[in-house]
Amino acid sequence: MEFKNVKELTYNQAVAELDTILRTMQSDNCDIDSLAKYTRRASELLRECRSRLTATDEELKKILADLEK
Amino acid sequence: MIARSFVEKPDSGNTQAMSLRELNRRVAALLSVPQLQNVWVTAELSDVRESGGHCYLELIDKNESTGIIDARLRGIIWVSYFYKISATFAAYTGQRLSTGLRVMVRGSINYHPAYGMSFVINDINPSFTLGDVERRRKEILMRLDAEGILDLNRSLDWNTPALRIAIVSAKGAAGYGDFMNQLYSNSSSLKFVTRLFPAVLQGERAARSVIEALDEINASIDEWDCVVIIRGGGATSDLVSFDNYELAANVAQFPLPVIVGIGHERDVTVLDYVANVRVKTPTAAAEMLIARAEELLAHLRDTASDMLMAIKAKISGCNTQLAYLEAQLPVAPVTAIERKRLRLDAATASLHALTAGRIAPQLAQLDQMPRAFRLAIDNLLARRRDKLASYTSLVEVLSPMATLKRGYTITRIGGKAVTSAHAVTPGDKIVTIFSDGKTESIITE
Repeated sequence: MEFKNVKELTYNQAVAELDTILRTMQSDNCDIDSLAKYTRRASELLRECRSRLTATDEELKKILADLEK
Repeated sequence: MIARSFVEKPDSGNTQAMSLRELNRRVAALLSVPQLQNVWVTAELSDVRESGGHCYLELIDKNESTGIIDARLRGIIWVSYFYKISATFAAYTGQRLSTGLRVMVRGSINYHPAYGMSFVINDINPSFTLGDVERRRKEILMRLDAEGILDLNRSLDWNTPALRIAIVSAKGAAGYGDFMNQLYSNSSSLKFVTRLFPAVLQGERAARSVIEALDEINASIDEWDCVVIIRGGGATSDLVSFDNYELAANVAQFPLPVIVGIGHERDVTVLDYVANVRVKTPTAAAEMLIARAEELLAHLRDTASDMLMAIKAKISGCNTQLAYLEAQLPVAPVTAIERKRLRLDAATASLHALTAGRIAPQLAQLDQMPRAFRLAIDNLLARRRDKLASYTSLVEVLSPMATLKRGYTITRIGGKAVTSAHAVTPGDKIVTIFSDGKTESIITE
């Protein structure tokens, strides 16, 4: 299975892929060899999705500073 | 008598003219009749303004088909009445007296010599306004429905995530501040992006101003996920400007979901019907946006924890399997051998059972064999002997010896039998064979 670069995915595509990976992990035909690969991909997707939703402290400070102006 | 004084000697130079003051006094006297006192009037409000606690306004009537004002009268509500009237009106309709509203008011015609004619209002029937506003609202909604655009914005799908927010609000308005504070003080550090598209949200210019702001957002539509129209909450303010067909049609057809939070509790404007989401206050609008995004975060959290569980389950399953295999390792060969042995035993036993029944008859049959063979051989030999005997006698009959005995001889030259007289020439030595010996002769002739 070839994985696309997470940056090229839309948020919905990333979440859909996460759900697919989860279902695969929960199914019986997921072997232990693929588990590491899937886990790595899932954490990459999760990180990307989170980063699109939440701002870092740095970004927040900048936004709030803009508001103060 | 009055009539006469107007027409008296119109052309003479020494006409008895009255002062303007006097004229106006007479007009005032004419107008102060019971038919013009404490009468109920329906009209539309225009140019409503407050000054010194009093309320000054214009009462107008518009031609229904052309919209042209065809009646106008100045109205005044003195401070002594204004407080009560505005409170009653606000309590009943959720609005304050403002331009564009149709009202039913009670008052008296007053003619002031210096300020002219006005209608001094002393009471109001708010249920008339409510009915009128409601009727107009329904008309707008029906028109939007007939044009097939009423539900367009309401049925729009939201972008996921919806974090880029175009805000239509008055600059420096309390509602805008509330919204921004709420939005950026969310506990999840959500990454909202906002821009203010300033607009006037009060009075007659509100509809046009909001439409202009929407047009501006539309110009950079790809940068935004939704539009929020907000204004200061709290005070009951004029909402009639939002019951506007043009504005409602713009919002209904706007390609992004529109959230309307124009700060009112009890009343609902046309805008609230056509917008994708209607909230009561700017703060509620921010809360709604935060809740949407936090839902996504929660989904991510759930997915992560489900994954962790799935991974743990998988690994623990594998561990259990390994442990089982480990436990099996020392025992397995022994049991395997034992199992093989048992299977062999069983096979042997069944083989015995199978063969036992069959061998005995075979043996019996074998026992019969020698005698049968002997008989067959004897028969064969006997038949051979007979045949041989008959062959012997035939041989005896056919053998040359028998012929020789009957007086025939065989003549040979050089070992070869001579069967023709032409085959011999004189001088040849021939051998004549008899049954009991041979002679040699020389051919002479």
